[in-house]
This record gives sequence, C-alpha cells and structure tokens, in this order.
Amino acid sequence: MQIVKSLKAGACRALCLWKGILIVWLFSFLPAAIFVTPLRGALKTGLGDSLITERLAEGIDIEVFADLGNHLSGIVSFFLSGFFLVIMAGFLLNVFFAGGLFGGVREYAGSSRLSDFFKESARNFWSFLVITILINLMIIGLAIILILIPVSVIMQSDTISEGAAYNSGMILTGVFLLLMPLFLLVADYSRAWQATQERQSCFKAIGEGFTLTFRNILRSWLMMVVLLLFQILLSLLILKFIPEIRPASGFGVFLLFLLSQALFIIRILLRTWRYGTVTAFRENYAGPISTISQKKQMPVEPEQVFSQPQDQAEY
Amino acid sequence: MKRLFLILGLAFLPSNLLFSQIILKEPLSPRLTGYSIDARLDDESKTVEGVMDAFWVNNSTAAVPDLHMHLYMNAFKSSRTTFNKGYGGRIRASEAGWIDIIEFYGGAGNDLMPFIQYFSPDDGNPYDSTVIRIVLPEPVKPGDTAFVRIKFKTKMPSNIRRTGYTKDFYFIAQWFPKFGVYETTGMRYALTDGWNCHQFHANSEFYSNHSAYDVTITLPEKYVVGSGGLLLSEKRNDDGSKTMLFRAEDIVDFAWTAWPGYSVHKDKWKHVDITLLLPSDRLEQVNRQFAAVKYALEYLTENVGPYPWPHLTFIDPPATGSGAGGMEYTTLFTTISSYRMPEWVRLPEMVTIHEFGHAYFMGILASNEFEEPWLDEGVNSFWEARIVDHYYGKNSAMIDHRLLKIPDAALSRLVYTTSPLKQLVSNDEYSWNYPRGSYSMMSYNKAATWLFTLMGITGEETMNGIFREYYNRWAFKHPSGKDFIDVVNDVVVRIHGNKFGPDMNWFFDQTLYGTGICDYKVSSISNRIITESGMGGIAADTAVTKESAEDEKLIRATACIERVGEVMLPVEILIGFDDGEEITEYWDGKERYTEYEYTGDRKIAWVKIDPEYRIRMDVNFINNSMTTDPDRGPVRRITGKLMLFVQLFISMISI
Repeated sequence: MQIVKSLKAGACRALCLWKGILIVWLFSFLPAAIFVTPLRGALKTGLGDSLITERLAEGIDIEVFADLGNHLSGIVSFFLSGFFLVIMAGFLLNVFFAGGLFGGVREYAGSSRLSDFFKESARNFWSFLVITILINLMIIGLAIILILIPVSVIMQSDTISEGAAYNSGMILTGVFLLLMPLFLLVADYSRAWQATQERQSCFKAIGEGFTLTFRNILRSWLMMVVLLLFQILLSLLILKFIPEIRPASGFGVFLLFLLSQALFIIRILLRTWRYGTVTAFRENYAGPISTISQKKQMPVEPEQVFSQPQDQAEY
Repeated sequence: MKRLFLILGLAFLPSNLLFSQIILKEPLSPRLTGYSIDARLDDESKTVEGVMDAFWVNNSTAAVPDLHMHLYMNAFKSSRTTFNKGYGGRIRASEAGWIDIIEFYGGAGNDLMPFIQYFSPDDGNPYDSTVIRIVLPEPVKPGDTAFVRIKFKTKMPSNIRRTGYTKDFYFIAQWFPKFGVYETTGMRYALTDGWNCHQFHANSEFYSNHSAYDVTITLPEKYVVGSGGLLLSEKRNDDGSKTMLFRAEDIVDFAWTAWPGYSVHKDKWKHVDITLLLPSDRLEQVNRQFAAVKYALEYLTENVGPYPWPHLTFIDPPATGSGAGGMEYTTLFTTISSYRMPEWVRLPEMVTIHEFGHAYFMGILASNEFEEPWLDEGVNSFWEARIVDHYYGKNSAMIDHRLLKIPDAALSRLVYTTSPLKQLVSNDEYSWNYPRGSYSMMSYNKAATWLFTLMGITGEETMNGIFREYYNRWAFKHPSGKDFIDVVNDVVVRIHGNKFGPDMNWFFDQTLYGTGICDYKVSSISNRIITESGMGGIAADTAVTKESAEDEKLIRATACIERVGEVMLPVEILIGFDDGEEITEYWDGKERYTEYEYTGDRKIAWVKIDPEYRIRMDVNFINNSMTTDPDRGPVRRITGKLMLFVQLFISMISI
C-alpha cells in the first residue's frame, strides 16, 4: 500500500513538473543535435547525388558506408571524438537538471516556476555530480567484482566446461541486475535527501542514502523494481520498434523524428516519476534520519505521517 | 639382422600403400608419395614419437640425386625461425615445438642421417630448419621409387597456431617429415625439373602430393580422436592406452586431434559419412554445423564436381584450443563456434563452408598454396560467399540480424576496397612476399572480388561451366593459375564466342596480374533546351528551368560517364528519363570517358552504371549513379535514430 501510494504521489509530482521535463528534454536534444547535424552533413556530402541511398531503404548497408572512402574516415574520427564530448556534455547537463527535478518533486517544493527549477539545479549541482559519479563507479565496481573477475577465473579453469562458465556468467549477471536497484535507490535517496538540505554535503548524502535504503530495503527495492520495469519496457519498445520503422517519404521521416523524441520525453517522465516516488516514499515512510532511534521506539501509523511535512520537521 | 628386417619391411611397403585400395575403388591420383606412420602420443612430455615408412616415385625423365622434405614443426623451435619472424612475438622455451629426426634409413637399409642437410631455399635464414635435403648415395632413376624409414620425435608447441596443444587438447598437424613436390618440366609451367619445397612461413599454407596414409596412433584411452582418415581398427592395450589405425587415400595431408571432452556426432550426405567432434556442451550447434557442411557438399558437387571420398570429419575445437579453428586438411577440417552462439551470427556456417570448400581447391585440385595462394583461398572464398548467398539469403552472413546485416560477399569486397594496401602488389605473388598485412586481403578478398566480377561479366552459368571444366581437367593434378586461365579462355570462348574477344587474358592481366583499381563514375547529368540564338541559326543551349521544361521544346539530355580507375571492364549503363522510360547502354569502358546524348522532349532523371552491381571490383559504388532528385530521407532517418540512441545512452548513464 505504501508503495502504491508513493508511486501515485510520485506520478502526480512528476506530471506537475512538466516544464522541467521539457527543459531536460531540450538540453538533451541540443548536444545530441550538435553532434548529429555535422554527421548528417558529412553523410550527405559523401553520398552526393547518388542513387545508392536506395540501398539504405532497408536499413544500414555496410557496403554503402564502406564506399564513403575518405568521407568515412572523417565521419569515424568525428564520431569517435564527438561522441565522447557529447556524452560528457549530456551527462553534466543531466546531472545539473536532476537537481531541479529532485527539488521540484518534493512535497512542499513551493512554486513550479522555471526560475526555481534552475535555482534548484544550480544549488544541487556539485553535490549531485559527486553522488552520480560515485554511484556509477560503485555500479561498475560491482560489475567487475561480481561478473568480470569470477567469469575470468572460471574460464581459466581446467575443470569447468564452456556451458558451466556461460551459465555462471548468466547467473552472476542476474544477481548483478537484482542488486542494481539498490544502488539506484542509494543514488535517489541521497539526492532526495540532499535536495532538502541547505548545505551541500554529498558524502553525508550518500551515507543517508545507504541508511535509508537498508532501513526499508524490501519495500524500497520492490518499489524501485516496479519503476525500473516501466523504464526497461519503454527502452525495449524503443529498441525493438524504432529501428524497424523505415519511412520512405520525407514527411514520414519527420513523423518518425517526432515519435522518437516523444518517446524520449516519456523516458524522462518515467525517470522523474522514479525521483518523485523515491522522494515521496522517503518523506512519508522512511522517517527523518535524525529521529531514527525515536522512530524505532515509537512506531507511528503511516497514514498519519503521510500529510506531515517531513522536510520542515527535519529542519 | 635388424638391417635385414628393415630391408624386408621396406620392400613390402609399395604393395601395402601404393596399390592397395581400402577406401576408394581405384586411386584418384598417381600417388607419387605414400606414408605409413606408427605414432605414440606421450601425454606427459607432449610429444609424438613415431616411425614412418614412406616412399617417393620419380616420375620425371631424369635421375634425381636428392630428396627434399618439410620439417614443418621446426617453425616453432625458436623466435628466429622464418615462421616466427613473419608472425611476430617471441616463442618461449616452454611453448616451443620441434621435430627431431632420430633415425633415417634408405630403402636398402643404409643410414642416411649423415646425408641430411638443413637449408632455407626461400630466405637463407640459418635459424630456420623447416626444410631438409638428403643427398642420396645413388640417384633415383626415372620411374624408380625411393623408400625411407624415419624415426622421429615431435614436440607439440603449447601456443596453438594451427597445431599444438593446450592442457589436454591436441591438434596435431604438420607433425611428420613430409616430401616436397618434385615438379617436372611443364608441370605448373615449370621450366625445369626440380623440387618445390618451401620453408614454413607465417603467411603461407602448403603444397603436397596426393598420398595414401596408413597411420597408427597409440595414446591414452581417455582421448577421443578425430582424423582425416577412416578408422579401420581400434584396440585397447593393457597399459591403459589404445591403438587406432586410420587409413586415408589421395589426400594431401594427414592431421588428427585428441581431446577427452569431445562429443561425437554422425550424419550422412549421399555417399559421405560425416563426423563432427565438438565440446559436449555445444550440442545446440550440431544441427547448424551439419546443415552447413551438407549445403556445401551439395552446391560444390552440383557446380564444380563430385566429392570423391566416402568420409569427412570436422572439428569444432573447445575455447582453449581455438587456435586450431578454421583450418583444412582435405577430409578433416576445423571450424569455429561457441557455446550458445546465436543463429544470427553466421560465423560457424561461413567457416564450415569455407573450410570444407578447401577439400576441392586445396584437396582435390591441390594447387601450390605457397606460390599461388589466391588459387586456393581466393577461389574458395568466392565459392563460400556463393554458397552462403544461395542457402541463407543474399544478405545473410556474416551477421544476419534484423538490425544489421553483413553479407559475406560484401564483407570480402569491402576488405579489399577499403584497404590502403590494395595497389601495392598484384595477386601474382608468393604468399610470404605480400607486404605485411596484405596477404589475407590480397589472396582471399581481392581474388574473390575479381572472381565475382568475372562472373558478373560472363554470367553465372558460364562461371559454373568454368569450374566444372577446371575440375574435370585438373583434379588431382596440381594446376597453376595459368592452367585456370586456360580453362577460363576455353570455356568462355566456347559459350560466348568472340563476345569478349579471342580470350579473357585482358581480364586477368588487369585483375590478377595488375595492381590497378576499377572505378567507374557518373560525372554529370545535363538537360539543356535547344533554342535558336538568332546568330545565323546556330543552336544554343540553356539550362532547363521549371518554366521552360513545361514548354514543348527540344531538350538535349546528356549523361557523362568517366573511368576513374586504371582497370577497363565492359559496363552496362542504365539511364532513366523523367517520363519513366529506361534505356540500357553498353560501354566497353576503355576510354577515359564517354557521353550519352539524347535529343527530344524529355530529361534524364538518373543514371546508373552497373545497376546490378556485377562489377564488384569497382571500389566505389556510390559514384556509380547520379540523380537530379536525390533522396535525403534515408540519411535523415538514420541520423534521427542515431540521435535518439545518443540521448538514451546519456540518460542511462546519468542515472
């Protein structure tokens, strides 16, 4: 019940933040567009007035790309260097606006003006950047410890067959995927906590994130799994259907562009929903960090707590 | 006494090997060499010790004073061997391999050990000991047979480069002393009689006479064994070992493998018993492997000639022995796959079809892979792509996923067209003479690409006719590239008359022996209105505008075609007009450019050179066509999708 209520609250808060979501979309679109537009120009130049584009009607044709010759080497070098830059820029912008999103999904967030959104983004940036980088490193570290090293050791073994090595790898990957939501919860709880604080304290925020995660581990994990399932389903939908759609006309290509961007906006909405849900859960069920010991002694009814402004109580 | 037994034993050899028929009803080849080997695998020392009785028949018209033999395994002896110099890296003592001749007797029981000389005919490398010459006390007279008995010990290298061991996996190839090929004058256009016995190079394969093999292998009982021979008998010994007797006829090499983890599967295609050995947990790969090899058998039988042997074994080595994957020994070959390799990765099919194809071009025809690698690898790559196209679809291999398809023939072509080394040398080079990094591209990819081009010019049926004739004329006779060209010339003229000239040498001069590239280009399309200038009635052209096009005026429509590359091939040009009509023109492609001009009331809308992409040597298909109304949609579509995926990726890592 607590999970459902949090999910509902999170959804409402995310929808109320539609302007912020559009801002996030716009600033995801811009670096990607800056990256892709010259690439498109180079491709157009390389293909010239050729009819070879007929062979692209059914998708990527490796011979066409190979025949680009010098244009191809230019495109590849641009792609390799540009991709890193655009990923960096996009990552920083996303981290920046995550501050605005977490600030906006609090129960008593105040106005929904864009100026507040940007203010929250700026206020939380450095702390959120450290939190995001550290959690990403933790996830990579977990993958190395849980999957890469054991699988490498297994593959070197004389006695374990290829099938057993493969299955071990798959099981370890499964365990990794089951643990992934916990790291996302730590990241989200940390940022939700940080968004309520006046002072920036990223390491304390991560500590609070771990405390909140493990205090409510089962409910939090289930809630996160539900949220992630929606995100994964959308991603699968995009990966399955978008590559299959190959409109022939220019208008069709434009509609495909609109559709793909609409799907991406939905993805941002789902992410904001996750932020909102975790924030709502933290506000209403996780209890204030500073009163953990009291809460253990005097359990209260969740419904009574639900409408209580926890952030103010914390201050 | 020992000497007497030896003489008697060797005297018995010819009837045992040369004339006996166990597998085939009659010999397929002259069997100028034959080998009877009794070998024992020592699992502890990773060595194979053996005694080999072998013979060589002098089929020349002159006496031959010496024998030349390969000791291929010495290529792994040190870092200074010719093989390792080409391969790069160092061979550590623990991973070295070699072959030691312990005893060497002649047919009369005479000790030939003192007459063994190591020499390096290709590069004079004093550290290379992969070729020996034995100067005989008496020359071998024309028609006579030289018999030898050799006791040898082969240490297997631990780092598998085609041959060697890893843990308890063995792939044992190039493991015994082997005769070179004595070429008589005229054979492969040789000017004089002589031994053709090259060193083992990193970038080369082999050349041998067709032989009969009787191979007895004794090894620990736990091992599952596969070989290029037919298993005649197997017995268990008291010491925990087993002895297996294999027989092979008219093949050019005998290799075998042993590993306790093999799972053995059998299938049949017409007269051929097929055996597949692979790790027991790769069972899901069995059906696709059998399907691929049966497709290859069917297609090559139909379009080239019959597969003569009743047996065929192929190996899918375990991951630890992957260095043995993708190699051929006529009736034995190795393929590649992995546990749970998805169906859309067609690498196993490609490799299986390719390596089986060698049974024809390396095995039956048995060209000299040292000197003309294209004649095996290039021809075989051409057939591999055709078979894959035929059975799996034109755009199927090597990746056959709904999101990305990498066709086999396209992959081969683009390796050639995108290589910066493609004009350095011609295809007519010894395999080790190709500049570093170009051997594979030249001998596999360029040759396959110009063979596709030849098929594009002459037609598929003509190409099949060429290979049927090549097989009929040269099976088991070691043809050269010139012999292949002679066949092409005969068949093309027989089918097409003088359509392509008196012969096809002009094609091979440019593709096989030349270094030029082929590139045809549509330079321009011009549609101009012819108007009266008022100056003595001389017509002047003005560019067509929308308004003027609506008027009923004469239009001079011109398409300019250019030959950018050096290679001159006949090309087809398809010209499309704005009224929907299409005209096909033919150009011999010899001049630097040509123009097609049409005067009337219509404009040229587009031009395509080689619309079916038959001239696959053309290094740039993009400039093969031009339109007045280019379609930018596909580029916008692809980049639009790319943009979405970039956005998704950024969003994902930003958690």
